Amino acid sequence: MAERPILLAAGMAALAIAAFAGATQILDTYSMNVLVRSLLYAMVALTVDILWGYLGILTFGQSTFFGIGAYAAGLVFMHVGFSPGTAVLALAAGIAIAVLVAAVVAWLAFWHGASELYASVITLVLPIVATQVIFSGGTWTGSSSGLSGFETFDLSIEAWFVLAGSLLAVATAAAWVVMASDAGRLIVAIRENEQRCKYLGIGTARLKSIAFLVSAALAAVAGYVFAGYAAVVAPELVGFVFGTELVIWVALGGRGTLLGPVIGTVLVDYESAQLSGDYPFVWKLIIGLVFVAVIVALPRGFLPILGDGLKRLGRWVGLGGKTTARTATLVTAARRTVATASDGPAIRIRGVAKHFGSLPVLRGIDFEARAGELVSLVGPNGAGKTTLMRCIADGSERSGGTIEIGGVSIGRLPPERCVALGIGRKFQMANVFDSLTVAECLQIARTRIDRPSLVRRSTELALPGPAARVVATTGLDQRLATPARLLSHGQKQALELAMVLALEPKVLLLDEPTAGLSKAERMLIGGILTDLATQERLCILLVEHDLDFVREISSRVVVLHQGRLVLDGTVEEVVGSETVKQIYAGAGHHGAPAEAAR
Amino acid sequence: MTALLLDVVTTAAILFAVASGLLLVFGVMKIINFAHGGLITLGGYAALITTQLGLNPWFGIPMAALFGAVAGTLIERVVVRPLYARPLDAILATWGLGIIIGQTIVLVFGREVQFAAAPLGGTIDLLGESYSLYRIVMVPIAILLGLGIALLLNGTRLGLATRAVIMNEDLARGLGIDSTWVRFVTFALGSALAAVAGALITPLSSVDPNMGVPWLVNAFMLVLVSGTSLASLAAACLVLGGAQVIVSSLYSPVLGGITIALLAAIILRTRPQGFARG
Amino acid sequence: MTPALHIDAISAGYGEAVVLREIALTVAPGEILAVLGKNGTGKSTLLKSIMGYLPKLAGRIAIGGADVTREAPHRIARRGVAYVAQEKSLFQDLSVEENIRLALASDRDWPKARAAVERSFPFLLERIRQRAGTLSGGEQKMLLMARSLAADPKLLLVDEITEGLQPSVIERLGGVLRAERGRSAAGILLVEQHIPFALAVADRFVVMDRGEIVDAGAAGAPGAAAEIARHLSL
Repeated sequence: MAERPILLAAGMAALAIAAFAGATQILDTYSMNVLVRSLLYAMVALTVDILWGYLGILTFGQSTFFGIGAYAAGLVFMHVGFSPGTAVLALAAGIAIAVLVAAVVAWLAFWHGASELYASVITLVLPIVATQVIFSGGTWTGSSSGLSGFETFDLSIEAWFVLAGSLLAVATAAAWVVMASDAGRLIVAIRENEQRCKYLGIGTARLKSIAFLVSAALAAVAGYVFAGYAAVVAPELVGFVFGTELVIWVALGGRGTLLGPVIGTVLVDYESAQLSGDYPFVWKLIIGLVFVAVIVALPRGFLPILGDGLKRLGRWVGLGGKTTARTATLVTAARRTVATASDGPAIRIRGVAKHFGSLPVLRGIDFEARAGELVSLVGPNGAGKTTLMRCIADGSERSGGTIEIGGVSIGRLPPERCVALGIGRKFQMANVFDSLTVAECLQIARTRIDRPSLVRRSTELALPGPAARVVATTGLDQRLATPARLLSHGQKQALELAMVLALEPKVLLLDEPTAGLSKAERMLIGGILTDLATQERLCILLVEHDLDFVREISSRVVVLHQGRLVLDGTVEEVVGSETVKQIYAGAGHHGAPAEAAR
Repeated sequence: MTALLLDVVTTAAILFAVASGLLLVFGVMKIINFAHGGLITLGGYAALITTQLGLNPWFGIPMAALFGAVAGTLIERVVVRPLYARPLDAILATWGLGIIIGQTIVLVFGREVQFAAAPLGGTIDLLGESYSLYRIVMVPIAILLGLGIALLLNGTRLGLATRAVIMNEDLARGLGIDSTWVRFVTFALGSALAAVAGALITPLSSVDPNMGVPWLVNAFMLVLVSGTSLASLAAACLVLGGAQVIVSSLYSPVLGGITIALLAAIILRTRPQGFARG
Repeated sequence: MTPALHIDAISAGYGEAVVLREIALTVAPGEILAVLGKNGTGKSTLLKSIMGYLPKLAGRIAIGGADVTREAPHRIARRGVAYVAQEKSLFQDLSVEENIRLALASDRDWPKARAAVERSFPFLLERIRQRAGTLSGGEQKMLLMARSLAADPKLLLVDEITEGLQPSVIERLGGVLRAERGRSAAGILLVEQHIPFALAVADRFVVMDRGEIVDAGAAGAPGAAAEIARHLSL
């Protein structure tokens, strides 16, 4: 079962194209001339919006891809000549080169550990480099004056206008379909909490790169049409100033909306053409002032403000402006047959060490745990418990030693690949997607198993048994349509647990799942965890400060102290241990009894 | 060969002067001030005003410092302060401020290219090479600027507080340091430095409303590879600035123009801490 | 007499996670109050709330009689509050002298601060230009203590200063704290896991569990240690 927004989108696009065709009867030639450019710019602005507004990648470089498309047309038509064959060739070349350049940029900008700022920096370097490349092309690229006077498509201004409008309408409708689909929800999730996505097994760097490549191709198409229409290409099209203008238009219209940037670009660019003849500098000054004001005071841009106003007006005049997005209904996922690798330990840790510079935090940690065991890691502050969790969930964290999950070494794998091996990590502070609903958060968690569709929004939420049980026992099944930020702290913790269980992990890592919970909530979570171990045969590693809680639910306890494993035994052994008493009473600080116990 | 060496050293000095204010602001506030280009332009026009008033050209430097500090004060209060928690938005808002500064200058001075009087002219014979005296003088000026900033940071109580805020803002606040005030003063100082750099480079180029933009990108890349240390900035200016000079003279000035940006991007990809220790 | 610190039913936490629930306590001038309890029961959060790092959900905090519930950390520090955090509480790249000077309202107070250091940890004066990060773990804790006493505080908040230290160093820190209490009228709030140290130094104690105060008593009372151990055991 899935909704099909694609028909609606196709209808809207057709309507918009008809409107553009109708507008040719009303508009004068001059206006249409200006608007063709504005509409194509709006198409590029749309790609900036997808990258920045939806994915969170602030890019200054979309101008370059537009310019690549334009120069592909200009260069081919100028030097090879114009024919239907070369026209197709130029388009294909423009898209191919844009995608190739985008691939290089993506390789530079998106890698495990790259910061948002770094990605922006790379997109800033791109147009600067591209401009210089064109300058150094001499007469072949026309250097600073560009190329003009080449033969191109012989179309009327009305035809160009309808073509540009149609392209924009189709691109916007397609973007709407994708954003309304499962993939669109995933894009929002990546922007909101990329780290959580990685630990849900989602290769965010790859998805960002794909979005970047598609955006580059779209911008190149717009640039190609622009060159065909204007019969002029200039280095400014490739440059950094145009790149920032695109960002300004998107910001004014409303990042993270689709119509906002489109309307913003068309209005500002069209008005610029009208006004900059008379007051060129005042106009730019006003744009600058408004832009700064919008960034500081209205970061969402103008369209959402307008939308809110209309909704309020609608309510005021009694028109029910209720838009009810349908929430997925719960179903049980088919049990996947998991190849259980013999009856070896679920997790095996050998000689794991971690140091920050010269400061050791973990030294020679060895232990194993089997399916069905609930092992608690305890120890005073600074014992290295959370660090050990990090080392298990991210292959690049540890400084030495090996970690195997179900007999397979995690090597240096990034978190999303560790998830594929069967690791599920729940963070200390509840780490969910605040702006998504409970159902959507859980759907994101299923991304690795249920491939998201690009055109549909699924109406079913298929959860495996353990996750479904957590959702049912904590009452989350009654709140599937509630945005996660409105949940209580305890419910958020439960939601994150359910999300991790939705990954169908073999080894569950829980970092203080009861921190900040009430006594009743703590008991509930404790019951769920013991059930997961005994009935679902999960291997659970639990970091916990609340020793009463540990005593109630653990099948085994591992004591860490100052980065070393001090004791590994049953609850009774640990409770009865003098060493542990001394560690907790503070007398074991100089470490002698801890050494003696080994 | 000598000329090339002198080019490397003087270029590094100029880059250092241009980037030091940006480094100061980035170190304390962890935001990139894209209005830096606009502030450089402002300094250039301070030098132009000095010329037009018929004052001694050296007077352009304190004049630029004053312009920059006043503009920086306003910018920090109105625009930057609400954006500390949104660093990417701070980049955009300060870029918008750069546009505002540029267009205001166009309205007041027109958009044509103008020239400010140089405080020093002529050439000097150095190592058997006749070389521009003003470019040579940029080297001691950059060293003085660097020493001045270092002295301010290391020799005064405000400097100590500033370093404390750079290292650990929460801890500094717990010791009674008003980090909001430290940020404010730093931004004003960084802006003044940008304007001074603008006044300093005018004799080497011309004055026009967009003169700061090309400098902004290079300064920005140099700061990113330098982290928060003046010494790393000096090293980055020498290495990357040197590469720029060599590429420009051996291959083409056009390629030289993108050398710093390209090299910095690659350095950051392979060694995220850049020239900083660690 | 106005209490050095008066906390009236404070609740606080991180986001929606409530860590402190209606904590109430008072520290008189010249009094040392030990706050004991297991890991994760909210002791450090209590100190951070007093210092103004965390917004308060409910309740009121007064220091020296002045309401500071909504004040920023630097303003609270300037009221004569010295806070020794558990982690990252020294500027590792700054010298011993610079670390101490940062705690002073003005460089004019340096002679007085120097005298205070001379009184408590004279060895630091010989290493005044050394980078704090090059001191040993115990020496760093002594520098921390010296810094917090240098500005002659009216209220001293200390978070697990004994963690990971040799017994001899712990004894020395205890001696300095007792001497300071005898010399000035500072109130001292001492968060500890080291029970013998806390009971030897403090006048009174409270025990925290899951964000609430569950026990209180006089540190010198017979059986206090056994009573506390019962709260801390597994």
